[in-house]
Amino acid sequence: MFQYEKRLQYPVNIKNPNPKLAKIIITQYGGPDGELGASLRYLSQRFSMPHPELKGLLTDIGTEELGHLEMIGAIVYQLTRNLSIEEIKKAGFDDYFVDHTTGIYPQFASGVPWTAATIQSSGDLIADLHEDLAAEQKARKTYDNILRLVDDPDVKEPIKFLRAREVVHYQRFGEGLRIATDRLDAKNFYAFNPSFDKCK
Amino acid sequence: MMRSNDLLKQLSATAFFMWDLHLYLDTHTCDTDAIALYNKYKEKYHMLREEFEEKYWKLSTTNAQGVEWIKNPWPWEKEGCDC
Repeated sequence: MFQYEKRLQYPVNIKNPNPKLAKIIITQYGGPDGELGASLRYLSQRFSMPHPELKGLLTDIGTEELGHLEMIGAIVYQLTRNLSIEEIKKAGFDDYFVDHTTGIYPQFASGVPWTAATIQSSGDLIADLHEDLAAEQKARKTYDNILRLVDDPDVKEPIKFLRAREVVHYQRFGEGLRIATDRLDAKNFYAFNPSFDKCK
Repeated sequence: MMRSNDLLKQLSATAFFMWDLHLYLDTHTCDTDAIALYNKYKEKYHMLREEFEEKYWKLSTTNAQGVEWIKNPWPWEKEGCDC
């Protein structure tokens, strides 16, 4: 089960609203390489993981991603507070506003709603772990691009924290993949699915 | 007296340090140095958490309900707040 803790993993205190930026950053809420996809990917994949280290890793990283989802929600929320209609129109926030006002909705920066088509849970630990390594790099890439588009230090600091976490998760998943391959049966040259097929 | 933001920052930094060690220990289960470091920070974390919850607000549903639980601020509401 899950329990809520009433604090963010890293503080978000944004002084200046900026709806244009909010429309970009929402992609890490519900975009193709965002935190919602990350948490659901890992928390779903863990059920078919064979080794205790991997069950732990996917449970823990999937849980941390839920905390990151909350941080992104907080960033978007704070960037869109107290807006006038003029500011909304000027920033090009009107197309988001017409459907969601200033509510937080999981979507790509392009407006496409979050979709499970951006994640996989393959039931094959080698395939899943490779997906996870790629996912961490893709999320890191999006944070790099966000940092290229942002000047406000109040926004940059939490984004830099989240970017660094992708790098750490990539490292942990790399170790997970090494554990998984080390434990393949010696006769399993082609790494067919050790979660499903039995060698003997 | 320390402001809630300062104390929360200290608490979150300590909790984060523990969490990162926790992840590391998922794949390095026998690293006794890391386990010792984890235990060292655990003690500090519990002290900070107790102090914070006593002074400001309860952090989990297991020790707060009703008015105590729903009172502001919620974590996403601290924009530009120096409280």
